[in-house]
Amino acid sequence: MKVATVNAGADLADPASQAWNGVTAEAVALAPVPLAAQPTEYIREAWANRAYGKTAEARVAAATDGKKLYVRVEWADDPAPNAEFQDAVGAVLGDGPLDTLGSAASPLALWYWENGRGALNLVSKGPGVVTKADASAVSGTGASGGGKWAVVISGPASASKGKLGVAVWNGSNEERAGLAAVSRNWLPLE
Amino acid sequence: MTANGTRQIAWVYDLNKCIGCQTCSVACKVLWTRDEGEKHEWWCSVNTMPGLGTPKGWEEMGGGIDPKTGKARPGHQPTRGEFGGGFDYNYYEVFYGGTAGKAHLEPQAPREGRWAMNWDEDQGAGEWPNSYFFYMPRICNHCTNPVCLEACPTGALAKRDDGLVLRDEDVCMGDRFCMEACPYKKIYFNYERHVAQHCIGCFPRVEAGVAPACVRQCPGRAVFVGFLDEEGTPVNNLVKKWKIALPLHAEAGTGPNVFYVPPLSPHRLNDDFSIDYQTPRIPPEYLESLFGPEVHTALATLSSEMEKVRGGGSSEMLKTLIAYKWQELLGPFTVDPADIVPTV
Repeated sequence: MKVATVNAGADLADPASQAWNGVTAEAVALAPVPLAAQPTEYIREAWANRAYGKTAEARVAAATDGKKLYVRVEWADDPAPNAEFQDAVGAVLGDGPLDTLGSAASPLALWYWENGRGALNLVSKGPGVVTKADASAVSGTGASGGGKWAVVISGPASASKGKLGVAVWNGSNEERAGLAAVSRNWLPLE
Repeated sequence: MTANGTRQIAWVYDLNKCIGCQTCSVACKVLWTRDEGEKHEWWCSVNTMPGLGTPKGWEEMGGGIDPKTGKARPGHQPTRGEFGGGFDYNYYEVFYGGTAGKAHLEPQAPREGRWAMNWDEDQGAGEWPNSYFFYMPRICNHCTNPVCLEACPTGALAKRDDGLVLRDEDVCMGDRFCMEACPYKKIYFNYERHVAQHCIGCFPRVEAGVAPACVRQCPGRAVFVGFLDEEGTPVNNLVKKWKIALPLHAEAGTGPNVFYVPPLSPHRLNDDFSIDYQTPRIPPEYLESLFGPEVHTALATLSSEMEKVRGGGSSEMLKTLIAYKWQELLGPFTVDPADIVPTV
């Protein structure tokens, strides 16, 4: 995926910004994180007969202003109400098993944004097996409307040369932790 | 003490002495859940049984271990509405609004579906004059097989060497599988801080030799604390030796470490208001649904000891339950909190 270089001063942090108009977005196919990989027996039992990772596709774009890498993700918003769980999205970066959101041996960076909670900088060692890292390194802004979510997550520009994956959590379906839809393949950033 | 050197702090609530005053609930509340997002959290709560309790209908929410498969059983995550409470009140309107006699204190929440920690107090069950109820305090059971711990993907929960099940809130991501897995539904969610929270067994007090607040503040001398396997102590005697203190919903398979002396029952009244000495007012099958088939033996043992004392005899069991010496309730945690010197 081409990381667009945008002039400093462009408001890439805003998903509705016109700065994104010239950045090509790619349709990315998503698939549920495998049930067998879920980290606890409880989760595997509770979700054995329940569909999750329901978001099938996202549109992903990436841009940098030289200081930060901005990842914009757009996907269809499930309108079903849920007062307990929120929609969320993550940019996954690094080198490791993407389908399981990393592993203990190959942890991945997870720039995570959740509606109502904001952005978290996480290290992901498996589905939902996350630890918190320096929160100030990652930020995010999201907006929903017209049946869609558009979220921009950003972090250090040094990630611009690596590989990108995305994960989406459908809060209406009580998706959280490892119960996500994740991109089927890495997107090499260039 | 177990073979691996660990111990288990356990509680025994005597339901024949609990008067439902909620002093334990308030002692816990003022100590631990007054920060942001904790308004609706009552780590210790007393409910009227039979009843829907807190969260509303918790006994039907699943969780625990499936006895057939030995695997974790899916459960429902109690919602904010099912816990209820945490209301704001119209204090300003009542006290300063010039509405004397018109405005009354009322929760600022929709009347429809309103629920709170002790919402169905004293409702109970049965038809007058044979209606019945009893009070049951509940805290985290600090289970021997804590399914909350197993369910957590981030490893936020741990069982300590003293048996308390504690959470590292810096590690908790608020995924709430623990709340689903807990068969007792005694884990709350802090919507402000996005972490789950539950009774911490007053571990900072316990570490300083002070009894948990729910125990020390009980005006009815209705609750004992101590190490389960420490022979000769009230907790050990009541649970292990005399077997009159029983776990709640042991069928959930988690090995709860809060035990209850089951409630004795008044006799039923016949239609002509004569006393039916053969039939207890609280249906034994209801008590069995809570405490298992052992409840019948426990109640028989209690009754027989009472008979013995009525006949002029002496009963160590009843002396223990009466708790002539208040400090005996506190187990090894007899330090007065007023004597603790703050270190920070």
